[in-house]
Amino acid sequence: MKRSTMVLALGLAAVSAGVQANAVVGQTAPAFSVTDSRGKTVSLADFKGKHVVLEWVNPGCPFVQKHYNSGNLPGTQQRATAQGVVWLAVSSTARSASDYRPPAELEAWLKSKQAAPSATLMDDEGKLGRAYGARTTPHLYLIDPTGKLIYAGAIDSKPTANPADIASAVNYVNQALGEALAGKPVSQATTTAYGCTIKYAS
Amino acid sequence: MSLFRKFLCWLALAGLAPAALALGGSVVTTEQVRAELVAQAPEGVQPGKPLWLGLLIRHQPHWHTYWKNPGDSGLPTALSWELPAGVSAGEIQWPVPQRLPVGPLVNYGYEGDLLLPVALTVGPEFKSETLVAKLRADWLVCKEVCIPESGEFTLKLPVAAATAPQAALFERSRVAQPRVLAEARAEAKLDEAGLQLSLEGLPADWQGKTLQAFPEEAGVFDHAGAQPQRWEGGRLLLTLPISAQRSESPGQLALVLRQDGSEREQGGLRLAYAVANWPALPGAAPAPALQPAEPAAPASGGSSTLVALLLAFAGGLLLNLMPCVFPVLSLKVLGFTQHAGERRVLLAGGLAYTAGVVLSFLALAGLLLALRSGGAQLGWGFQLQSPLFVSGLALLFGLIGLNLLGVFEIRAVLPGNLAGARAANPVLDHGLTGVLAVLVASPCTAPFMGAALGAALTLPAVEALAIFAALGLGMAAPYLAASLWPGLARALPRPGVWMKHFKILMAFPMFATVLWLLWVLGQQVGIDGAVALLGLLLALALAAWVYGAQDLKPRGRAVLGGIALAVLAATALWAWPALREAPPASAVQAESGSGWQPWSADKVAQAQAEGRTVLVDFTAAWCVTCQFNKRGALADAQLLADLQARKVLLLRADWTRRDAAISQELNRLGRSGVPVYAVYAPGASTPRLLPEILSVSLLREALAL
Repeated sequence: MKRSTMVLALGLAAVSAGVQANAVVGQTAPAFSVTDSRGKTVSLADFKGKHVVLEWVNPGCPFVQKHYNSGNLPGTQQRATAQGVVWLAVSSTARSASDYRPPAELEAWLKSKQAAPSATLMDDEGKLGRAYGARTTPHLYLIDPTGKLIYAGAIDSKPTANPADIASAVNYVNQALGEALAGKPVSQATTTAYGCTIKYAS
Repeated sequence: MSLFRKFLCWLALAGLAPAALALGGSVVTTEQVRAELVAQAPEGVQPGKPLWLGLLIRHQPHWHTYWKNPGDSGLPTALSWELPAGVSAGEIQWPVPQRLPVGPLVNYGYEGDLLLPVALTVGPEFKSETLVAKLRADWLVCKEVCIPESGEFTLKLPVAAATAPQAALFERSRVAQPRVLAEARAEAKLDEAGLQLSLEGLPADWQGKTLQAFPEEAGVFDHAGAQPQRWEGGRLLLTLPISAQRSESPGQLALVLRQDGSEREQGGLRLAYAVANWPALPGAAPAPALQPAEPAAPASGGSSTLVALLLAFAGGLLLNLMPCVFPVLSLKVLGFTQHAGERRVLLAGGLAYTAGVVLSFLALAGLLLALRSGGAQLGWGFQLQSPLFVSGLALLFGLIGLNLLGVFEIRAVLPGNLAGARAANPVLDHGLTGVLAVLVASPCTAPFMGAALGAALTLPAVEALAIFAALGLGMAAPYLAASLWPGLARALPRPGVWMKHFKILMAFPMFATVLWLLWVLGQQVGIDGAVALLGLLLALALAAWVYGAQDLKPRGRAVLGGIALAVLAATALWAWPALREAPPASAVQAESGSGWQPWSADKVAQAQAEGRTVLVDFTAAWCVTCQFNKRGALADAQLLADLQARKVLLLRADWTRRDAAISQELNRLGRSGVPVYAVYAPGASTPRLLPEILSVSLLREALAL
């Protein structure tokens, strides 16, 4: 009995599962309106005419730590925002998860890492994450000034937790931003994101 | 575990019994797992005897590690071995994984007790009383949070004694491996809903049951999506949803299946399948830029095409000197001296021959281009990947050799009307000679010019065809020149008795070619196939003699001819299955003791991720340049030792038989023929390609030794 219940639950999970990814590279990015860590509402529509980066973050994840403790992601953010790019850090971790960080704490942590996102979005319900099909922390997306999604995937080409690999990896986000800002098409528009599972609210 | 505690542990074991030291694997314990390196060597450590090592991971409740495709997140466990010379480790034999749903996401991995076994190959170079195996393992262990962990393990195995303390564990892990069933087949089709798979030949007791499918590719599928499936008779129709953010377009894929709700120990099935026509990825990069393989690559497009055409022409000229072509053509050209007067006949013959050669090359190249645009993974030399084609060529060369020896005359063998047609229509005869010349030249074009022609195939169709036409023109040029200027023909030595000797002498290069084709066939289908072909050659020689012998009485010919034909037919029947048989275990595996391992794209990526440089030798038995390099620069003992010291991973991609994965990688590198030598530096997305002729100093320079 117990076993069959479990199988049923698994089956239901399989049917109802699936992050409803509406976001397809090459098409218009899903619109959103989310409250940020300071209580302000941030909408994608606010940034028409600018490049926008979405970065899923969770300070408790070793893959996020790899790119923050090494200065890789903060550096990428600083370079991007210095060129007029809007960088939105997103937390889709459920409030019930053990590594959930309340807004002030998350902001303080980012600050301690010299991170420089334009805003930090609190997607506690997971709506934004599900709309974009975000699976891991980190998971990165780039939207062009016309609102088209032009990159989705990993921060770089080496799926490991070892900070020593950053030096020899290709930073896909830098690459995509460099190409997009130079008016060129993004050469690697989709890559496989790696990292910790996002703990979505059920 | 601290070093000191590890040391104490060793000390305790050593104090108990020396044998226990050999058996006791080293253990790493964290809060989440207990990991242990274990061994299974029931017959000791000997070449050819089973030898397995394995990482035994006992997870704390609810913690898990990952499968080779971790699913929506996570990382596969990675093993990096340090083994003595002569011993090499294979890949992890992953047991069937389980689905690990995390909210709306799904991972593939393992909970509970898990053994990841790896087969070891021991070569004759390994000489020691103990095998010391060192392992560095990296795994990501997750429950709600994830923790990357690693451990270093050392295990000493006595060579002479059996080691099998965990035999039951290895046996259970063997059963939990996905099996490959010869009769199980998968066909795939892409549509709006995803990848539609039609699976046949699944185990009978699976019929009507719900199955779980685990794709081995990480960046293709929507792992959390539902997998609609229904049985239609003995066939399972299964849909795998494609990820909206797919990042890969693999040509060769594989799937592991298990029954829903089954235990890991019930194992599962692995099925490989192909998907040819992926829609282009958004903003997909153009073909990766390659570093020029040849130092003197001309810069501008127009002149490089011209240079390529000239080179092709020169290559065609050279083909006339190849052992497969020279005997036929030299005799044909010498024959001109007998018709030196009839200028018009000569000219028409020369032009017909040229047309025959050029059109044959164009037809072959056109066929190849058409097949490739249809998604087939073929390259130049593809003809020689077919054992039947190789056999056919060997028989043809055998016959030509016998003809040159004077065993039979074509006229005597051909049916009267056909011989008559040939005699009455010399132009057609010359044209057909051209076709024959291209056919007999093919075992030389592929081995000597495979890479160049392969590169030509990746050009736009018109340019590719122009290059093949130039090659044909070059090949036909000497013949055409001799027919255009009879003065040239007159400059050739006068015909005489020497021609008869020359003709017989020319039979020997022909037989040498047969010898070589036999060796290629042996690589493809094994010794049985090679001997079957020898049998066919023997029977054919008998038949050729019976029908060609001038002085045989009609009655004798009829009797002997009947016998010869019967022998030929019987031999052909006997030989047929051997020539089509499934290939024997890869030759590369047998020589893995030399430090070379069979190639796979995963191994390259994994080694790069570990910071190792990889040297890949794309080779084939029928490729002479490849064999020259393999036995020359690539076999240099000092070089191999230095490569091993630098931990350069040596991989050999054997293209002797058709292999879509290798063809695809060659395509990616902008080549479609072998040899190709590629150096993958850690972190570089495109490898550096080396020239086709290798030298030790060149390799040292390229690998910075």
